[in-house]
Amino acid sequence: MQKRNTYTEIEDFLSDESFQSWILLKIDNDGWEEWTLESRQRAKLVEDARHLLLAMKVPDSKLSTSDIRRALETTWLKIEEKENQKDLSENSNVKFLRKCFLNGVAATLIFGLISVWSYKNYFHTDNKVVTYKELIDENSEGLVEQTNNSDKPQIITLSDGSSVLLQPNSKLSYPKIFTGNERKVYLSGEGFFEISKNPKKPFYVYANEIVTKVVGTSFRVKAYSDQPDVEVLVRTGKVKVRSNEMISKSDHEEIILLPNQALRFVRNDLKFNKITNITQDVELAQSVGNIEQLSFEFSDIPVSQIFETIEQAYLVDIDYPKDKLKDCHLTTSLSDQPLTEKLKIVCKSIGNNTSFEMNGNQVIIISQGCN
Amino acid sequence: MKTSTVEFSTFDDITLWTSLKEGDEKSFSMLFERYYADLVSYGNSLSPYHEKVQDCIQDVFTDIWVYRNSLQHSVVVKAYLLSSVRKRIARLHERDHIFRKATNTDSIAFLLEFSVEHEFIDDDYATKEKVTYLNKLLNELPPRQKEALYLRYHQGLSVEQIAEMLDVNYQSASNLLYRGLLALRKEWKGTFSLFLLLSSSSF
Repeated sequence: MQKRNTYTEIEDFLSDESFQSWILLKIDNDGWEEWTLESRQRAKLVEDARHLLLAMKVPDSKLSTSDIRRALETTWLKIEEKENQKDLSENSNVKFLRKCFLNGVAATLIFGLISVWSYKNYFHTDNKVVTYKELIDENSEGLVEQTNNSDKPQIITLSDGSSVLLQPNSKLSYPKIFTGNERKVYLSGEGFFEISKNPKKPFYVYANEIVTKVVGTSFRVKAYSDQPDVEVLVRTGKVKVRSNEMISKSDHEEIILLPNQALRFVRNDLKFNKITNITQDVELAQSVGNIEQLSFEFSDIPVSQIFETIEQAYLVDIDYPKDKLKDCHLTTSLSDQPLTEKLKIVCKSIGNNTSFEMNGNQVIIISQGCN
Repeated sequence: MKTSTVEFSTFDDITLWTSLKEGDEKSFSMLFERYYADLVSYGNSLSPYHEKVQDCIQDVFTDIWVYRNSLQHSVVVKAYLLSSVRKRIARLHERDHIFRKATNTDSIAFLLEFSVEHEFIDDDYATKEKVTYLNKLLNELPPRQKEALYLRYHQGLSVEQIAEMLDVNYQSASNLLYRGLLALRKEWKGTFSLFLLLSSSSF
């Protein structure tokens, strides 16, 4: 603040942030008031600068915090779109090159046909069913495996905050910490996935013959090795499904699923069936789990009710100070959020003095009440 | 529902910029939240199409993230953002006015009207009058001078940064600023004694 003793021009003051905040915000951290009174000449200069600043007000943009949040969300969507486009154009370049190549060299074409034929033959004679074990063996990079042998679904929280509700008789293998540019997990059986949003690190679920790719959404994958079909059902967001390279290297068919659409992969003839109306499909309609039926849109609902809903959806126990929170009501939307996100949002909404701890199926809420 | 404000002023721009480059989403979001409103108000002063302005600003941020690997290391983040928004809006104008020949950033004019910070004038009538008069003078300045003043004293950019943004050399930028204030100073020295006279005679 010694700098200001050398000020001789109005401009010097105008560009001084501390001076600006004194005039425009009335925050006088540096004792401008006193400093000004030290000399008459100075007082005149300060007065002029002050008038000019007051005459230069710039209207606010009138954006609220939620406007900005929304703009940020829109921007993430734009990013996702742009990154997809980028991927696509790279892919089409490759395709274009391949096309030229094939067109030019007939011999290659014939060779290609032969190899496709022998490739298919190979898989017809062998067993073309890809199992969980094969997938895991392919990727033995220190995975953690969790098996649900109980008769109730189990919740698994992954290192990126995503949650997986693993059904009985199902297994999930996943890395302790996701590294690199992809998040890959391997499923045998059935799981309901709620993926934390991260466009730069797509999330892949490998389940038997199919690979499901998402960036942030919720969906269910059902892939029991002893059943004839593999199913994917989407609840929110957008999901891409393709077949695993292990069964079809040549065919990179990708199917996009939107909310309330499903896909069934028939393992015998390696075919995808897209189901656009899931209510019409008896098998799917029957198998909708708790979590998919429950609504997570709350308006002015007691906290106890919200916790109960979460308990039912994820089959966890939530322990919270009932007395302290008995008069707390919340309005919030928790759809499409993994379990830990849901808890984080609820705690934050209750107040600053609220936090949670999670240990397996046990959740403990620590709170001094809402404000 | 209670809205919680997140405390993020603790990280400076360049720290956030560096971790953004390394792929940290949080830093991206923080910078977005820190500057979005400000960029919108600047953008609105350059274009009458306010819905498109927000679009442009979101596109600027989209490109920052998608091409984060090729971003420069040491930048003044605020200046970079303001300048990107200006370029983007200029490009939008070009597209909308296909028949117009001028295609550089000169083609956009600074439309902002400075207003008076009334609630902070707790002085006498004469001061209020004076501030209002200064405000009128400021708003009568040519758009380029006004924009230079805005960038210098409202956004806190340096003369070099302003020169770069407005695509002129250092001297021209400092001339813009100097002339902007000169006109004011001249006017107000003359009238100031008059104001004194008036205010003293009223007692």
